[in-house]
Amino acid sequence: MATYASEMVAYFMLHALINDNEKLITIKKAMKSIWENYTTENAYDELMYCEFQPRPVSHSLCQYLNSLKKTDIDKRKIAAELAIMEMGITFTVYSDEGNIDRAWPFDIIPRIMDAREWRIIEKGLKQRLAALNHFISDVYGEQAFIKEGKIPGETINSSKNFRKECVGMKPRHNVWANICGTDLVRDKDGIMYVLEDNLRVPSGVSYMLENRVITKRVFPELLQGIDILPIDDYPAQLQDMLSSIAPVNTHKPLIVVLTPGIYNSAYFEHAYLAQQMGAQLVEGSDLVVKEDNCVYMRTIEGLEKVDVIYRRIDDDFLDPEVFRKDSTLGVHGLMRAWKAGNVALANAPGAGVADDKVVYAYVPEMIRYYLNEEPILPNVPTYLCSNKEHLDYVLEHLAELVVKPANESGGYGMLVGPHSTAKEVNAFRKIIQADPRNYIGQPTLAISTAPTLCKGKLEPRHIDLRPFILQGENTFVTAGGLTRVALRKGSLVVNSSQGGGSKDTWIINMEGH
Amino acid sequence: MLSRSAERLYWLARYMERTENMAKLVSVYMNLLMDLPRGVEMGWQQLLRINGSEAEFYEKYKVANERNVTRFMLTDASYSSSLFSSLTSARENIRTTRELLPDEAWEQVNEMYLFTKNDPEAVSNRRSRVLFLKKIIEGCQRFSGLLSGYMSHNHPYRFIRLGRNLERADMTSRILDLASLLLAESRSDELRQYETILWINILTALNALLMYRQHMRSRVKGDDVLSYLLLDKNLPRSVARCLLEVSDCINELPNNDALPDRVVELEDYVQDIDTHQATQLQLRAILDDLQNKLGGLHGHIADNWFSRIAAE
Repeated sequence: MATYASEMVAYFMLHALINDNEKLITIKKAMKSIWENYTTENAYDELMYCEFQPRPVSHSLCQYLNSLKKTDIDKRKIAAELAIMEMGITFTVYSDEGNIDRAWPFDIIPRIMDAREWRIIEKGLKQRLAALNHFISDVYGEQAFIKEGKIPGETINSSKNFRKECVGMKPRHNVWANICGTDLVRDKDGIMYVLEDNLRVPSGVSYMLENRVITKRVFPELLQGIDILPIDDYPAQLQDMLSSIAPVNTHKPLIVVLTPGIYNSAYFEHAYLAQQMGAQLVEGSDLVVKEDNCVYMRTIEGLEKVDVIYRRIDDDFLDPEVFRKDSTLGVHGLMRAWKAGNVALANAPGAGVADDKVVYAYVPEMIRYYLNEEPILPNVPTYLCSNKEHLDYVLEHLAELVVKPANESGGYGMLVGPHSTAKEVNAFRKIIQADPRNYIGQPTLAISTAPTLCKGKLEPRHIDLRPFILQGENTFVTAGGLTRVALRKGSLVVNSSQGGGSKDTWIINMEGH
Repeated sequence: MLSRSAERLYWLARYMERTENMAKLVSVYMNLLMDLPRGVEMGWQQLLRINGSEAEFYEKYKVANERNVTRFMLTDASYSSSLFSSLTSARENIRTTRELLPDEAWEQVNEMYLFTKNDPEAVSNRRSRVLFLKKIIEGCQRFSGLLSGYMSHNHPYRFIRLGRNLERADMTSRILDLASLLLAESRSDELRQYETILWINILTALNALLMYRQHMRSRVKGDDVLSYLLLDKNLPRSVARCLLEVSDCINELPNNDALPDRVVELEDYVQDIDTHQATQLQLRAILDDLQNKLGGLHGHIADNWFSRIAAE
């Protein structure tokens, strides 16, 4: 794993540069009540150096909290919960008793980052997605990366997200993954690492947008004095990107958002994005592919041609003619239409081949190979169980590592060694041995924390960050992203399906402070 | 616009109208009962009759008293025509068409839904019930108002108007049906003494009292009220006006095929009703027939626009 050293050093130097200018400011003792026993010992804290000592980015926030009575803070929290209920911001949880629509769990204390640091991360994210798209094009084209021995051909062929039906396709701008949600975590060393790239149907951006709307309602006076980068142009950027991938010579392309329907956990987001873009929200049964290999939607005026589909359905269910035959969510003939170049699909089918935790390990190499640049954002060191040496290491160090399946999302099917019993570790050992290709191991990071309101007091809770990157004709990165927080004490799992919540994310301009 | 969306917006409007009508009906009924002396043979069971839900009610409750009937009509989630059920259906329909409507529309419906869901006990005593009904009626008004003011009067809007007016015409005819039932010849003279009070309350239920007075310039009389609520072309809740709105929408929508002719037929049918000549019994038959014809029109609308999927 020594290859990461140079990136880390480069990044760390930039990071140190920022921290160097920080001045120490102490919170008044008046704040004691809500900050009592706040500790930053176990991880890097995003807002605090230590108890009573905020970082410069959070100075204004802490001063503001200082000016509030404890009952005021509780009132804000209740106001936020009420707003969430009324705005109907929900996600669906599947359970034995049926699907439950739950209110979005939101922590009113924002997560804050310095814009100078953010600019570096933004550059790193663009670089990363550019390389990933080169790689996907290459996989379905010449396969130079494989031929030059940069990645074993077997890794690609055995990936369940490699779609042979896509070989030879050339989507516009050679971009396959148009929408990417990249998960970032900060380790104890203060460095931001890339944990994974979600290139299939990443979700969460609507919550990012709604979190800001709620903060504006709850803390209007606080937002006035701070220079926070706006985020609300995302739907417009998404629309521009989708227009830019429409089949050539389309005037005013008709864009639709394809949803699996109301029972999908992210249905709220599908409806929200369609509404924000002024696009039509469609289900599979609203679309039809005719003999001319064009996609049409069934309207009150008859059939209308569709140019761009932002699909929120997995490849598997997209087209029963090509993929799963039993899919009732997709559209018969959609792949025909796409291959004929009559409709654009975002993300392109097959883009998921790069959304594989084994392929992930090769991204730094892709950046060097395709872009001839050094990676700006480091990967978390990764042990591939398909490799004999790595496998042995993983099996020997199971109790310290995090082991994940290559193709799952939502935090399912993984082992967090230090948080597991010996029995669980041994059971997992067998699972890995049965299918080594499908597992990777990573050191357990002490991922960073941020103050989170827990029963009227602030306590450190672990967080991650999911920025969203759009690539079509141009590339765009959200200012910040969705900060997810593990609400249970000590927990590292931030997924909303498993007790996670979220925070508004502020990227603030510190120049002039 | 998608056929599926057209159907959901149409139903959204019907359910919102139904919610408002139910709130108004219960509210006016409470007023009416407070006006009438004790012992007059008009109890809460009449309210069940107007919705044809007596059988379903007696499966769950023994006595048709104020508490049981209002709870059944307003907050009973297992009764498919209760106010809460209508509101729930409205919410489901708007949840799947949010992208076509202003944000505030969804928030308005969702807020009313949560308000009803979180405090079903609000309807159990008269005082809090009055406040509850007031809030629901205001919410429905705000919903219509913000659509009218914030949304383009385009095809989606036409389907909303279409649903609203068809539902409204149906409700008006049901209320008139109830009135004729209460005033049937077989009824006692005692109730007939209070006829004026009854008609005033019916006008109130349809927000028509002021307009009636301005229009008729005479005291409230049964025959006049009937013909006003059926035939007047300016009153928003008269059957004739609702049909005019329906006809407007239909004429502006694409692929309307034979529908404009069918509405004209129905409008002629309504204008031919002579409330002064018809006996109570004839009138009830006419109103029954009118409700069937409105149901028929709904069927044609559905065939024409919502089932295009099958046609292609």
